[in-house]
Amino acid sequence: MPFSARDLRYHIEDSYPALCTYLQNRAQRYLGKLSFDAFEVDQVVGHVIEYLMRIQLLGGGQQAAPTALDELSDAQFYTFLNRMVQNKAIDRLRRRRLPMNTTGELEEQGNPDDENDPLNAMVEPLWGDIPFANPEDAALEAASQEQLRFILKKCIEALNVAPRQLQAIMQELTDLGASELVNEVRADLSAEQAEAPLPHLSQHKDHAHKKLRLCLQKNSTNLAVMVAIRLTEYGVQSGQTGDITVLLQTLTQTDLSLREVQTGLQHLAQAGLLDWHGEENVSISPAQQKGLTRFYEDE
Amino acid sequence: MSEQFMGKPDPQAQNTLLAQWLYGLLANKAQATTEGPLPVGEDVSFPGQGYHAAFYPQIPNFALALLRQSPNVITRYAPLFFHLLGCPVCHRAYLETYDALRTALADNTRPTTTTLRLSTTAGLATTSPKLLVFLCQLLIGQARTILRQAHREHSDEDAWARTLIQQAMQISRYLMQGTLRQRALRDLVEVASLAQPAQPEVPPTPPMLSYSLLVGAGSGARGRSAIRRADMAARPNEQVSIDLRAGSLEGNITQENDTLILRLVDLAADLRGHSLIISVPLGTLLEPVRWRGGNPYAIRSTGPVASDGTLTTPLGSTDLHLNEPIDRNLVETLFKKLDVRAAEE
Repeated sequence: MPFSARDLRYHIEDSYPALCTYLQNRAQRYLGKLSFDAFEVDQVVGHVIEYLMRIQLLGGGQQAAPTALDELSDAQFYTFLNRMVQNKAIDRLRRRRLPMNTTGELEEQGNPDDENDPLNAMVEPLWGDIPFANPEDAALEAASQEQLRFILKKCIEALNVAPRQLQAIMQELTDLGASELVNEVRADLSAEQAEAPLPHLSQHKDHAHKKLRLCLQKNSTNLAVMVAIRLTEYGVQSGQTGDITVLLQTLTQTDLSLREVQTGLQHLAQAGLLDWHGEENVSISPAQQKGLTRFYEDE
Repeated sequence: MSEQFMGKPDPQAQNTLLAQWLYGLLANKAQATTEGPLPVGEDVSFPGQGYHAAFYPQIPNFALALLRQSPNVITRYAPLFFHLLGCPVCHRAYLETYDALRTALADNTRPTTTTLRLSTTAGLATTSPKLLVFLCQLLIGQARTILRQAHREHSDEDAWARTLIQQAMQISRYLMQGTLRQRALRDLVEVASLAQPAQPEVPPTPPMLSYSLLVGAGSGARGRSAIRRADMAARPNEQVSIDLRAGSLEGNITQENDTLILRLVDLAADLRGHSLIISVPLGTLLEPVRWRGGNPYAIRSTGPVASDGTLTTPLGSTDLHLNEPIDRNLVETLFKKLDVRAAEE
């Protein structure tokens, strides 16, 4: 019985057996010499089932948010599952092979089994040409990309409520040579460079790091940046006071939900950049427009 | 920091230094050793520390947006992006997802011939019990994660968690071996209690006796139970019971027509002559039983405990039949826990 992503989401009782059969079939194919090892087959099958559960597709029903997999055609979804199985099988084969063979043995093994060895199907390294294939690439992107850097700056500035923690981070960034970022933060906060050394520096730094980690991974931070940009982009003049207004729906565009826009607006209101209490029309005074522009402008 | 990163030429030296700092800031040292997959056949209903329910489900959408080169994709997914820097488990899932999605999108004309080879008779009854146990535990573990996340975010996801728990209960009825079913639903009562906030109909006082389901083959009553089940098909008219135990006290549930009857024996002297309030904590999770009085948390016995310490009272009615193994398994799950209190006169 064929199944689709939708079946797995809404009809788990009917589709789970077919999913298991399909995954077992694929796993046995890709596991090569290990295809009769029930433990290895279970490892591969279990990995994909666990993945489908964790992305909240399997049994997710209407409560779980739709995922990219829901958008795939049935053929694409099968190809997706097939590839997941293949990658995991190769991972298992590598784990089993590497500790058990010397380099010489591996070279000798090459001839007779070349055609049947699933590892040979992988011409390129598994994750070689994927963007941000390692976290360090992503870190470089975060430090270089304007808006991500801007979010970082805003999170550092949010430490202002704990001046010693802010000072500890500024000191750390200065020592690092990130003077440009330090100067931007100082300019935004109109803060002077502290001259007195900070007692208990490492303790303040640890607390600041924890807050920064939370802030960077918090949805409201980046939503506030996106909404601030859209407010000034899509605002329409209303009257002679210079106020501009924007409808909530206008701010969603194609990629934000209404709830996300509201989260971003709440964040901006809490930062004192807006007077917004849930109205459909967001009204912004000229002074607030300046503040918003300053909020997201990087340079 | 890996050599790959250290050796990467970057004209913006300051960005490189900042990137190193950012990586050091976000990389969670506690997760340096990535967790392996949850093993099928072992207990998995407690997801590891590496599962971040706030981020993991976004990974496919992020990967698809990258593949489609959607505008502002990094900014749109900034929190996830920063999270991936420091979480090896989610980062690994991102890599797997991106690769599989890329293959799927590039291969959209391929016919689904593989599906034709699937057995048309595949059903839960013929699915490997190990994979059924695995699924039940994952569903219950997912419910626990969702409830904990909702608690942290001050939101209400009880309905979602209940749906997951109900699915686990429904699927577990196809596990014919009691010990496997017990294992599949090991954390059911605990997680279900998280999904059921304090309600006015729940008696405020702690129970005087708390019965648990007695399952599996072995000695004594458990052996009898297993024999009965094996013989069900041959002797359909024999009365089948669900056995309960609270310490040294025993009880059982039988069915007369469509009515479920609870029988408790050897109840303490101070309960004799008093009516009892029976609570079935999992009773609201599934609908097949119409509970007497309508509230499974407070079913009042039809009469007092007899002078010999015996109580026999109906609990409710159902269209399920205890003689049918799959029906019986589902009813049995409802009675994983049964609490008893003395009724106020």
